[in-house]
Parts: sequence; structure tokens; C-alpha cells
Amino acid sequence: MTQGSLRFEGREVPIHDGDTVASALFRTGVRTFSRSLKSHRRRGLYCGTGECPNCTVTVDGVPGVRSCVTPAGGGMRVERGRGWPSAEHDLLHVTDLMHPLMPVGFYMKTFVRPRFAWPVAERVIRRHTGSGPLPRRREPARTTSRHLHVDTIVIGAGTSGLSAALETVRAGERVLLCDAFGVGSQVPRPRRDAIGALEAEARKEPGIEILEGYAALGVYEGPTVALASQDELVQVHPSRIVVATGAAETHEAFPGNDLPGVWLGRAASRMASAHGVPPGSRVVFVASTGEGLEHLLALVAAGTNVTAAVVPSAFVDRVPPAVEAIADGELVSAHGRGRVRSVVVRERGLERRLRCDALVLSTGLSPRDELARMAPDEPVEVVGDAAGDGDTPRVTGGHLCLCEDVTVHDAEQAWAEGFRSAEILKRYTTATMGPCRGAMCGRALTAFAAARSDEGDRAAVARTTARPPVRPATLETLAASVHEMIEKRTSLHETHLAAGAALGWSGGWKRPFSYGDAAEEYAAVRERAGLMDVGTLAKILIAGRDASALVDQVFPGRVADLPAGRTRYVLALDEAGYVADDGVLCAFEDGSYLLTSTSGGAERMDARLREWRHRLGLHVHLLDRTSELGAILVAGPRARDVLEPLSDDPIDAAALSHATHADVTVAGVPCTAIRTGFVGELGFELHHPRSRGPELWSALQSAGEAFAIRPFGLDALEILRLEKGHLYVGQDTLPDDTPAKLGLDRLVDMGKEWFVGKAALERLAAMPLGRRLTPLTFAGGPPDTDGLRGMPVMAGGDVVGRVTSAATSPALGRAIGLAWIRTHGGELPTDLRVGEATATIAETPFYDPDGERLHG
Amino acid sequence: MTLRIPCPTCGERPHTEFTFGGEARPAVAEDTEADFARVFLPDNHPGSARERWFHALGCRTWFELTRDATTNRIG
Repeated sequence: MTQGSLRFEGREVPIHDGDTVASALFRTGVRTFSRSLKSHRRRGLYCGTGECPNCTVTVDGVPGVRSCVTPAGGGMRVERGRGWPSAEHDLLHVTDLMHPLMPVGFYMKTFVRPRFAWPVAERVIRRHTGSGPLPRRREPARTTSRHLHVDTIVIGAGTSGLSAALETVRAGERVLLCDAFGVGSQVPRPRRDAIGALEAEARKEPGIEILEGYAALGVYEGPTVALASQDELVQVHPSRIVVATGAAETHEAFPGNDLPGVWLGRAASRMASAHGVPPGSRVVFVASTGEGLEHLLALVAAGTNVTAAVVPSAFVDRVPPAVEAIADGELVSAHGRGRVRSVVVRERGLERRLRCDALVLSTGLSPRDELARMAPDEPVEVVGDAAGDGDTPRVTGGHLCLCEDVTVHDAEQAWAEGFRSAEILKRYTTATMGPCRGAMCGRALTAFAAARSDEGDRAAVARTTARPPVRPATLETLAASVHEMIEKRTSLHETHLAAGAALGWSGGWKRPFSYGDAAEEYAAVRERAGLMDVGTLAKILIAGRDASALVDQVFPGRVADLPAGRTRYVLALDEAGYVADDGVLCAFEDGSYLLTSTSGGAERMDARLREWRHRLGLHVHLLDRTSELGAILVAGPRARDVLEPLSDDPIDAAALSHATHADVTVAGVPCTAIRTGFVGELGFELHHPRSRGPELWSALQSAGEAFAIRPFGLDALEILRLEKGHLYVGQDTLPDDTPAKLGLDRLVDMGKEWFVGKAALERLAAMPLGRRLTPLTFAGGPPDTDGLRGMPVMAGGDVVGRVTSAATSPALGRAIGLAWIRTHGGELPTDLRVGEATATIAETPFYDPDGERLHG
Repeated sequence: MTLRIPCPTCGERPHTEFTFGGEARPAVAEDTEADFARVFLPDNHPGSARERWFHALGCRTWFELTRDATTNRIG
């Protein structure tokens, strides 16, 4: 019965019940499914279990989809990725003839000289290799990421995985059972009957969570297991890991082994029994295991014309009479142009050629134990086929590695060059590094090394390192968690949006950059009054018996003598004497302090204070109040006039002068008002309970109407603070800037007995400064000063520094900025240029150098 | 080796919740030379050493523990 159709390279392909993309295509006669990575050799269906790269096609624009494990869906658009003009008639197949030009390690050998040849060759190679073109202009995918905590994760939902999950859940544990495809979907057909009952039991268990279509990519320290589906990345944190990933069928390396028409047993028997399509009209079968014999019988039962079967003599009796049994025969090679036409079999020393159009091999198992091998120290248990020893494939010729197009001849050449162990053969030839991750070729590579190495050379024959990802995953899925940035918002977020603010990221917060006209916002602050949401500031309460001792030792300046009600600008140094942060410290009557420091740095500052509390053994309570307190800055010559009608508390110059703070009630909202001067005008920072933010903001706006008060954003702030020469730690500093390099020596009291970084500063005092953060004014540059930031500072043809901040100052009528500039013998260079502009060393503050406007 | 860190307040937790604070060293050095070594010359001893850890995504406590850098064994 057909279930609609899919579209394959311009024609309709009917879909039958239970079809995969591969079976639907195979039924309509498609034999070449892909072209190989480098040599553009034809590749047909091979493993049928989603391991090998042969059946990969492009589905709905997504390249590299394994058609043998992808259910066919009505309306799918399917095409083959590689090949020019098409995969069916691929002229690039000539590259196979040029194989000598691209030997293993070719990028180190050919196209290397002349040197200009490589860029050209690289472009050609890049275009014609790989899995097909990536979709252009595709909608960004909405992939998600999550974490799961369980007692045990069972990876692989086949027979042994289901059994392990049931056993574990009955022991009282919570179990996550995941499978790259579906529960029981990869169980070989002869063992299918038993799985139904197990599956039903597992699905009934509330303690088992089942994730289907989730491939385990790797086991990491923790342990953590990464699972990927089409649109989700799951990081699982279990206490125990059970690997039940089963086994692939052995990949034998013999001449002609990559021809379309060479099948592994599972693929062939599934195609015949489940999809009703025989793998060929004359089939030769090579079976050397019980499972192989089952596949042979399944093929015959499904009506496939199997002409001969190469089996161990013990199986001869069980070969159906219609099939010629070749006892203890040996497969030599497969032949044909573009597909199998005949095979050569050695029987009792004599070679025989058998005509056929399909060769099916089922000669053993290759356990998929990569997850266990990559995490030897994690609590990993391997069960079922994955725990087996596996069978050793014969390696006589042909393709060792299908994914990377590595032939046995290539490996021999590498061996001759001295790459004499499985591990370094892998690294040199890239065998096992393709999409199958060594599932097919890993054991063939080891067998290759074992056959050539000296007896007892265990390093040569050790299995190659297993590394994540062991299953293919899209970059979209791997990048899932980057979408999930935590967006921190102040309580005024909606207020800003309603006011038409342009919000942007700043230190993990969404903050207004401007409300439409930064120049007007700037003018409001300088001439009248402005209003800014500074709730993003880090706000940390420092209290307890040793609070004063802690601040005295963590901050390099004099703070122990800070009287209650006063504030002081402080730096925070690390042990190397480098400036890590800055902030404003307010002292209270009860001996506690409130520290406000750089937005976005609250966790780091809190960690720093906690670190030194621990290391110095001090009795201090620390409380990060950043998210609990809002803060609004009212700044400008009329700031006090805005506040006065809103408060009954004294806020006049005597009660609340520059660098003091007081608890006041403004518009009914209890606030700690801090007199600050970051923008260089009379300023009040009103710290208040977060929930009261919107009402306080709107009261201030109403009261400020008489003075045409304006909310201002980070763009205006940038000009305001630069005019005062204030720096941003992080933007204007480098990781190894000392206070001296920043011209902030006045904030360090070397007379103090001890503070964090003091010994380092003493040591550094004897060394030349090297560079200094230097205020500059610019002339003759472009009107747009945005471009100046980050530009190199030049002196006589040498780069001597870099501009860290720049803005056009309305107060000065010219461009100003900060730059770090290299010093020689303590002197700064002269005749500086930045791009087109000449730069002159200036003094800060650029604006109101005597700070008259701050007081008042 | 599974790296689970014993936090003095929260018990054993996955290491992803913690920040490594470096080798445990005295806060104060005898002289500036010793201070230089203290800050810039970690022992990087391939074996057991005292380390400082911070339960950043938990109770935010700093504490010390002994870890073997080659085996990740703690204690």
C-alpha cells in the first residue's frame, strides 16, 4: 500500500508502508546513493543500520542525512549531495583516476609547490569534496538545550538496553533510556520477536523516561552524557552509565568491497523481509556466524534468488537446497564497473568466478563500544553486543575506510612511510575519522596494523582513541545552548520600552542605549536634569564584626577611616596588583558598608569578597543585593530641584553634599541616596526596593517636567563620563593594568600595613611603567568618532598604543578619548596620529576640571 | 574519574557548579620575592595538592580540599 510519495531529483517516488527513504528509492531502481568523499566513487546501500556513510542524501535541503534510518515522509524533497553534474553521471569520478595526486597526507605533499598552487587547489578540492552544499538562506533553527538528572542512563534501547533499564528501575532507580533511532529499531530481524514484550514492559514503567531519536555523542567528566536529537541538545547528569549500543556488522576489506551491490546482512535481510524488495536478482551470500545464517534464511524466505552461499562447513546442512553451499570457501574479490557483476571465491584452493548482482556479507560483529572506551574512569558498564570482543575482519584490499575514502593501498603507503601503529595510521590517513566514527573501519584498521607489526607490539595494535561525537550531529544542535542567554532586566524594563528606548546588551543586562536622541539626552544632563536607570550596578552589603577590616584589606585605598555617611571611590586589585574592578563604598552608622560596583560584575565582586573573607579568616556577612535593589540616577544642575518637592527629608547641600549618602524617602519610596559624580554634574543615585522602581521613576519624571527632565541611556553616558575622564574597568583597561598605568595612584595608600596586591605593587614600583592610559584630544579626523575606538595610535610610523574609548565632546567641541600609550624611559611619545586624525595628549577631566559642578 | 566536589555546606556536587580557585597559598608572603612566587609560580605538582574551590552555582562558599591532579581523587 502506498502512503503518498516523495520527490527525488525531479521525479515522484511512491512510499510504501514502513518505508525508509532508502527503501523507497531502492524500490524504484536507485542503486547509486552517493559519491564517495574524495574519489567520487559510486556508493550503494551497505550497512542499513545508520553507521556507514554510503546512503547519505540531502533531505529538504539538509545534507548528510542517512536515508537507511530515516522514515520516508510524503512530500520530502530528496537529492544526492555530491557529484557533478549529478551523482548518477558524475564526471568528477575522474578524480578516482587521479588518486595518486591525492594520496594520504596529500595536503602536505601535493599542491605544496609552487606555493600559489595550494589556494587554487584548495578551492577546487573544497568545492568537490564533502557531503554536498550547505543550504543557503535557511531560517535559523530553534534548537533548545536542557539538563536532565537521573540515577542511571541506558544508552541504546535494544534487547540488552531494555533489559538493563528494567532491571535498574526495579532496583528503585530513575532511569533514562535513550536510542539514536527508536526502541528496538536496530535489533536484527531474527531477534525481533523477543523485543515486543520488553518494550511494552519498559513503556509501562513510570521510572523509565524514554528518549527516541536522541543519539549519545559522548561521555564527559562528571559524568555527563551529551545527547543530540534533530532540534535538541540534552546534557544528562547520571550517577551511572550503561552502554548498550550493540554492534555493527564486520566491515571486511577486500578488492571491490565498496561497489554498489555489496551489502551487509542486516541491510539485505531487512530490505527483502521488511520492505519486500530483494537486494538483487542473483545474490551471493557470505555467512560465517549464526546471525549470518539467519539473514540468509530470511532472504530466501522472502523469495530472494540466492545462488550461492559461502558458509562454514558446520552450516552446510542448514543452507536451503535451492542455494549452492560453498563450504569453507573464501571470498577473494568483487568485480564490476559501477556495481557488482561477479565475485571471485576460493574453494579448496581453486578460484571460481560467480556471476551475481548482489553480494551479501554477514561475517561477525564489530561492537560499538566507543562510549565506554572514551571514559575509562567514569562509572560505565557495557552490556550486550557492545560488550563483546568482536570479530577480526580480513583485510586484503579495497577500501579500509568508506567515509574518508582510505584504501588498503593508502594504508600500506602510510605504513611504509613509518606510521606503524593503528593510532598514528588513523591520524595520518584520517581512517576512522569520518561520519561512522570507526564503527565500520575501526577494527579493520587495527587488523591491518596487527598483520604487519612485530609480535608483541601491543601499542601498534591497540584500538584507536574514541572521541566524541560518536554519532553525527548538526552544528545547529551543538550550538543549542548559546541561544539561551539569561536576559537580566531591571524593574523599569517595560517603562523603557514604552518610552521608545533602544535596548541593547550590556554586561548580561538589557539596558537602554538611547531614547531616540542621545545628543538631546546629553544636553539635558549638562543643562537641566536627566534620569538614568542604574539598577544594573552591583550592590553588595558588607556587615559584621570584621566588615571594616575586610574592606580595608581588599581595597588598596584608605577606607578604614571612612566615616558613616561618607562615600569613597575604590579600586579592587588582584594579587598581582592588577586592577580588577572599581566601585563606590558607602559607610553606615552600624559599621556596615554598601558597595556599588561595575554593572554585570556582581557575581565576580561577591566572589572576591567571599574569597578574602575566607582567606583572611574574617567574621563578615556578605549579601549581594543586586537583584533586590533598583537604582535611579538623577543628575544635572537642576537635580536637587527635581527631588526637593518629592521628599520631606533634608537633601540640601549641607545635608547631602558631594561624596555623602543618606537614607531619604522620595515620593513615598524609601531610598538610600548616594551623591555621585560619574557624569560630572550634581547627581543623586537613589537605591530603592526593586518593586518600587516604576512609581519612583514616574514621580521623578513628573517632578522634573518643569525642568524638561529627560531619561538618558548608555550612549549619552559614554560622552558624559569621557568628558570627566572616568574609565570603565574592562573597556579602558587591560588585564595587567596597575593603578599607576591608569593614573589612579591616588586611590592606593602604600602606607597601609597590608592590602591585596600590595607586595606586587611594591615589586612593580621598581620597574618601568611600560604604558599609560592617556587622555587624548583629536583634530582633523572623521566626524564619526565611533570609528576611533580600537584604532592603533601611531608615532612616526610605529604603533605605540590603542584607543580604548572615544566620543565627540559637545562641551569641548572636539573629539576626545582615552588610549593606552607605550612609554619610553617614563616619557610618552609626541606627534601622535590615529588614522587621519592628529592626537594631542590632554589632561583629565576634560570638562569642569575643578569639579565645581559636582558640588552644590 | 568522576569529579564530584565535596562542598562543606551542600555535600558532594558535580564539579560544573564550582569555580577552581588555584592552589591553596598563604594570603601574605614574607617578602616581595616570595610574593612573586606565591602569585606567579604555581607548583603544578603532578599529585596531591591543597586547592581552593568556590561553590559559585550553589552556596557561594570558598573552601579548601586536597585533590590529586593526576587521578582527580579527592581527600
